[in-house]
Amino acid sequence: METFLKVQNLVKEYKNGFRAVDDVSFEVGAGEIFGLLGPNGAGKTTIIRAISTILSFTNGKIEVLGKDNLRYAEEVRSNIGVLTTDIGAYERFTGKENLQYFGELYGLSSSDLDKRIKELTELLDMGGFIDKKAAKYSTGMKQRLAIARSVIHDPKVIIFDEPTSGLDVLSSQTVRDFMSHARESGRAVIFSTHQMYDAEKLCDRVIIIHKGKEIAYDSVENLKTQTGERDLEDVFLKLVKGEGV
Amino acid sequence: MNSKHILTIWKKELRDTVRDRRTLVSMILVPMLLMPVIMLGMFKFMSEQAAKQQTQIAKISIVGGDYAPQLAEAIKSREGVEIAEVDVQNYKQSVAEGRIDAAVVIPEDFQDRIAGEKAVNLELVSKSTNANAANAFAAVSFVVADFNAGLLEGRFTARDINADILSGVTIVPEDLATEQEVGGFVLAMLLPLLIVMWSIVGGQYTAIDVSAGEKERKTLEALLLTPVKRIDVVFGKFLAVSTVAIISVVTAIGSLYFSFSYAGDLGIPMEEGNGLSMGGAGGSGLGFSIEPQVALLLFIVSLFLVLMFSAVILSISIYAKSFKEAQSYIGPAYIVVILPVALVNSVPGFEPVFWMFALPAVNAVLLFKELFMGAYDWGHISLTLFSLIIYSIIAILIAAKTYSKESVLFGD
Ligand SMILES: Nc1ncnc2c1ncn2[C@@H]1O[C@H](COP(=O)(O)OP(=O)(O)OP(=O)(O)O)[C@@H](O)[C@H]1O
Ligand SMILES: [Mg+2]
Repeated sequence: METFLKVQNLVKEYKNGFRAVDDVSFEVGAGEIFGLLGPNGAGKTTIIRAISTILSFTNGKIEVLGKDNLRYAEEVRSNIGVLTTDIGAYERFTGKENLQYFGELYGLSSSDLDKRIKELTELLDMGGFIDKKAAKYSTGMKQRLAIARSVIHDPKVIIFDEPTSGLDVLSSQTVRDFMSHARESGRAVIFSTHQMYDAEKLCDRVIIIHKGKEIAYDSVENLKTQTGERDLEDVFLKLVKGEGV
Repeated sequence: MNSKHILTIWKKELRDTVRDRRTLVSMILVPMLLMPVIMLGMFKFMSEQAAKQQTQIAKISIVGGDYAPQLAEAIKSREGVEIAEVDVQNYKQSVAEGRIDAAVVIPEDFQDRIAGEKAVNLELVSKSTNANAANAFAAVSFVVADFNAGLLEGRFTARDINADILSGVTIVPEDLATEQEVGGFVLAMLLPLLIVMWSIVGGQYTAIDVSAGEKERKTLEALLLTPVKRIDVVFGKFLAVSTVAIISVVTAIGSLYFSFSYAGDLGIPMEEGNGLSMGGAGGSGLGFSIEPQVALLLFIVSLFLVLMFSAVILSISIYAKSFKEAQSYIGPAYIVVILPVALVNSVPGFEPVFWMFALPAVNAVLLFKELFMGAYDWGHISLTLFSLIIYSIIAILIAAKTYSKESVLFGD
């Protein structure tokens, strides 16, 4: 398995001196869904922002497709697709126009872009609203548009931060199917969540972060065996309360 | 810098702005409709004031008119003078309280002194804070000079001397102000201030929308996640704001110029003789035109003003988390700029010193005034342009720097 993402000894101290990420290391390979798990405030979003070069970090090293993310920031950004927790859209634009704008910024040719938009519209079931102004979208529609936007350039590394929060079961299913689909097509998918049900269903391996520190890093199966718990939620509770394996 | 990225962002922001009715209103509609209305209203007001000044009647009382009936009669029949009866004991109080503009006090021995060819002192009581006192003074002086001339002529003739030797120096007034200068005078008072105002206000809405607005709508992070460099993001947005602002400035000036040119047809009084007249052909419109090179300079200076202010407003509004917050930051900043500008603009006869042409915005106002009055000082022009370019570059660099601050972008 080829390593697509490598995070080594990542430390992030915010300006106010708060250490949000404290010595976290992990690797994610092609064709897997990797769970970035942790309770609220664990540091998941901070890690994702550091990986995607939009947030500086205090210490450590990050490589995407073998490229250092500090030295090759632009190249790294064009190889990863990040779904942020903020799923806003340009409201005076239609969904399609939103996607076109981002596609252009990612450097897609207009024919490639048209094809990609069609493909994503089908995959994420957006046909009913893609030509409507984004101001009129429901949460689920916005979420699907945000997902389409984040992968408009068909990146090798896909990072989804809480992609199913606030979604009903149907929409959640669409998102989960999308991640499975990405895994099948050889992408590296990082799935950040605190919903253990989704994580257990999808993830091959996980890292559990608590208060900025790594408390577990293994396959879901191994973690269950090691802790003797029946499902990932119990594993998670046990580890977070006990803070470590 | 990647020009393709900059162009994409520029186009998107303009498209976004045009789709927003609020921006369209503040960018095009307000400058197009409101400006001419305000300007023409002010112009009308000023014309009326000037006309009033000229036809103002001076209220004069004559104390002891019986001692010099001839002189009193001359004052009475002078144009623009109205004789008011006052209590002889209290004439000073009447002047002090503004019931009359002046009182002429004729001494009891007037006729005796005239007959004895002795000097006579005529007392003129007025209050210098009364705007009409000068009119009263001029009217009385004129009558007295006339009276003296007649008196002396009689005396000379009595001594068999030709009275012509009395005519020494005479003043023949001639106004050299051209129509351009008179027109320029009015424009020079109001237009510079308006240009500075619109170069800030014109792009303000877009500036907030593309920065704080993007934060508020939660799209900023997605934009920063694209491979586009921060500097290109800033530049694209900056160009969009500048474009909107310059369109706004040009619209404001254009519609103003247009409406002034046709003001006569709209029945707005601009006839000659009120001191502010433009002497338009056939009384319709204003008879002046802005020379092409002045228009060009005007545009270039406005452009750099716009570039500078756009970058400044962009920097300010990215600090804000919401539209409202941004507006509350820009309000005070706006006053800081407008205050000195309004000051140098409104102090009459303000003589600028060379270095003042290096003060941002103030320099533009001073230069515009000079240009409208038909004066080209290349030193002033180059210093203004040079300093505005420098300020613009600094402002853009600050904006770019602001956009790379984590605390500004992700600070909660
Ligand atoms: N700009 C900032 N300055 C200071 N502290 C911050 C900043 N942003 C986040 N933090 C803190 O860092 C910690 C980690 O935040 P982060 O958003 O990464 O957590 P998270 O795991 O994504 O949580 P959630 O599940 O709630 O999204 C939190 O305690 C948060 O308060
Ligand atoms: Mg988070």
